[in-house]
Amino acid sequence: MSHQLLISTLILSPLIGFLINGLRYKRHSANVAGGVATAAAAISFLSAILIFMELLAMPKEGRQIAVNFFEWMTVASLKINMGFLVDPLNVIMILIITGVGSLIHLFSVSYMHHDEGAAKYFAYLNLFLFNMLVLVLGDNLLVMFVGWEGVGLCSYLLIGFWFKDSDKAAAGMKAFVTNRVGDAAFLLGMFLLFVSFGTLNFQEINNMVPADPTFSWLSPLTLGTLFLFIGATGKSAQIPLYVWLPDAMAGPTPVSALIHAATMVTAGVYMIIRLNPLFLHTPNTMLVIAIIGGLTAVMAASIGLTQWDIKKVLAYSTVSQLGYMFLAVGVGAFTAGLFHLMTHAFFKALMFLGSGSVIHAMHEEQDIRKMGGLKKHMPITHFTFLIGWLAIIGMPPFSGFFSKDEILWLSFHSPLGHPALWALGAVGAVMTAFYMTRLMALTFWGKSRVPQDVHPHESPALMTIPLIVLAILSAFAGWLGVPHVIGAALGHLPNILAEFLSLNIKPIPNLAEANVTTEIILMSVSVGFALISAALAYHMYVRNPELPGKFTEKVKGLHNFVYNKYFVDEAYEGSIIQPLVQTSKSIWFYVDVNFIDKATYWISDIIKGGGSLVRSLQNGNLQTYAMYVAIGLVMTLTFILVR
Amino acid sequence: MNPEAFLFWFLSIVTVSAGLAVVLLTNPIYAALSLAMTMVGVAAVFVTLNAYFLAGVQLIVYAGAVMVLFVMVLMLFDLKAEIQAFSRGNLSGFLKIGSVAMLGGLIIGAIVMSSNSLLGNNLPDLVVEADGSKQLGKLLFSKYLFGFEALGVLLMVVAVGAVALARSKGGTHAKH
Amino acid sequence: MLNTDIFTQIGLNHYLFLSAILFVIGMAGVLLRRNAIVLLMSIELMLNAVNISFVAFSKYSGKMEGQIMVFFVMTIAAAEAAVGLALAVTIFKRFREVNIRFFEHLKG
Repeated sequence: MSHQLLISTLILSPLIGFLINGLRYKRHSANVAGGVATAAAAISFLSAILIFMELLAMPKEGRQIAVNFFEWMTVASLKINMGFLVDPLNVIMILIITGVGSLIHLFSVSYMHHDEGAAKYFAYLNLFLFNMLVLVLGDNLLVMFVGWEGVGLCSYLLIGFWFKDSDKAAAGMKAFVTNRVGDAAFLLGMFLLFVSFGTLNFQEINNMVPADPTFSWLSPLTLGTLFLFIGATGKSAQIPLYVWLPDAMAGPTPVSALIHAATMVTAGVYMIIRLNPLFLHTPNTMLVIAIIGGLTAVMAASIGLTQWDIKKVLAYSTVSQLGYMFLAVGVGAFTAGLFHLMTHAFFKALMFLGSGSVIHAMHEEQDIRKMGGLKKHMPITHFTFLIGWLAIIGMPPFSGFFSKDEILWLSFHSPLGHPALWALGAVGAVMTAFYMTRLMALTFWGKSRVPQDVHPHESPALMTIPLIVLAILSAFAGWLGVPHVIGAALGHLPNILAEFLSLNIKPIPNLAEANVTTEIILMSVSVGFALISAALAYHMYVRNPELPGKFTEKVKGLHNFVYNKYFVDEAYEGSIIQPLVQTSKSIWFYVDVNFIDKATYWISDIIKGGGSLVRSLQNGNLQTYAMYVAIGLVMTLTFILVR
Repeated sequence: MNPEAFLFWFLSIVTVSAGLAVVLLTNPIYAALSLAMTMVGVAAVFVTLNAYFLAGVQLIVYAGAVMVLFVMVLMLFDLKAEIQAFSRGNLSGFLKIGSVAMLGGLIIGAIVMSSNSLLGNNLPDLVVEADGSKQLGKLLFSKYLFGFEALGVLLMVVAVGAVALARSKGGTHAKH
Repeated sequence: MLNTDIFTQIGLNHYLFLSAILFVIGMAGVLLRRNAIVLLMSIELMLNAVNISFVAFSKYSGKMEGQIMVFFVMTIAAAEAAVGLALAVTIFKRFREVNIRFFEHLKG
């Protein structure tokens, strides 16, 4: 009972916040609305902590809380419960969602205080939290899908929050439509799983997975997991459906931090981890996931090298980091994937909020060419951003180092991995170090290129406090998952995260004993190259600011190609969207206008003609009516007599 | 030819020709007089059917009261012979006459076809002889008393309604 | 030798034929005549035709109910004539005419 109450509080508190703000969005001022929404998120966070305590108090083997609210639907053999399940895997997720969510709510109070639609904004934000919690806590695929769609809706609403700007509204629509493609595949995957297992419950599916892996491409489970993965590529912005995420930066910056960095975009990774026994059963899908993840990591990072918009850089960085997570789950390193998800949530939320703070200070300017030297104006923002930077480039001992290194090591070492995958990851890491250093250099360091009429200033405390908290988390969260080799060197530090998750996550099959030397060498190589690349970027953008210009001149064609994001959007436009539009237009003209419309006109004409024919019978003349009576009489009598 | 048959045929010819005259004569006054003639003929037919009381009522009510009413109204309107006594339209006229003729044929056919089953062959001996009016009165004031009273109410309502109608300025629609 | 029974032996059918012919004549009047008052007269004709058949049935079945019905019909006919004529008067007051072609407003 108390569990039910706890989970209800956890889930419903943001929904109530949404209702309060949503129903009174015209009257609530930004401060009132922000207070309500933040309180709702904080209550949710407190419940999450209480649930976490509850779980810790339980014996290690039985750490799960299952709550079934009601039976949602029963159709033939399909039985769906509105059931929620808390176990070590998603308790981490809800802590991230509600914790980071609360901080971002707090940040938004100050960030949005001058906006007219602030109450609406906070209502959407709360609704997002609610849907995200449903997504993470649902104990079957359909409840998860409800949350999955719900967060998509909130994402659309928040990207297009300033919908009066048609570009921003279009970005929202792009996100929505792109996600729909993935969602359709997700549904197909769900159908295939239901056909194969007869249930959509995660635990039942995971228990029913056959022991031996399937190597066929066409088995229903391989196809099902592939479809689910396509769904994940939509939500989590992977090749080929990543195109919406960079455009999603049209939304308010805290939204980018919450939805498009820390929580929603990780839903796909979470879904795969949730079904890890099933995915391990289909190595073909795993291979696809790993390759797509690795390619996305490199490709997005390379685009990030060339962008000038502070949020665009962070957006491509997010896509790239999500690629790492998929690389991790693709090689079977689910713990590492979740670990990176967590650390990334901290440092990327931190960097987005930091960029929000910068944009706020720069009066809505997002172009890093017009920044520079902000270090002395915004010391707190700079310091916290610095920690985020150290975390993301993988500088030991910050959190990003541990998680990224574990992914790289396992992509090399796991039987599902391959040195080529490691190489992809390492190249991505080197690029990440470069573009992040470039971002730091252009924004905070070097000479100021700020226009004369703009006077940057440090943001108020409401904005800096979340930054500081996130900075602390980014710096130290890595110690939750210390790699074996380092732990051993430091006196057998346990990998807390892996132990905590051991119940939920199947170990990688046939994992060989780690070769300590190889691991250390690989680690040094990736970290070393990343540091060299960071130093190079520092040299190029701080020491010799004219150097990058000269360099891009030399490789102009390539630079243009990358700067324009490999023309992926244009390719989609030409190869998919335009043919679709043209086909639809011709179908509209030839089928709709010339056939269906005309058919309905014919029908209406026939009825009209028949009506006017019958109308002449009713001419208003008494004697004609009497004649009808007589004719009727004749007919009736004839009928009676003839019969 | 026995007297009964002669009487029937004579009355039939008189009644039918008078009825035809009602429909065919264009002057309404002549039509009204022909109707009176028809009424008298029907009353006589009633007599041949031993319904003496009804024959008397027929004469008083129809040939007396109702016909007077018709003639009074006609005189009130001062109508001459009409130019367009019959409704126009070839098709509708044909249809009307055709349907009427067919109806007549059908009714007669029906009578012929069902003459055996109507009453059966063993007709009962006629019990209604001189005492018919008494029987009628007893039946009317016992078994059909409610209907009789209802008719009284109806007549009163009609009387009031007719007066109200005749006093109104005409039509329920707004005047042009 | 022509069978003359049909002319000499008067039975129920004869009265019914007479009734039917009168009824049809009345109906033709209702359908064809344009004068509203003649229309009413034709209706009276039809009612009388029905009365004949009632009385004939009454006689040949030996039941008085037929005559009772005739009694009722007569009363109703009188009432109907009164109302119909009142209507005719009203119409005449309005149009100075009782031709049925003025009543072509009996539609929605």
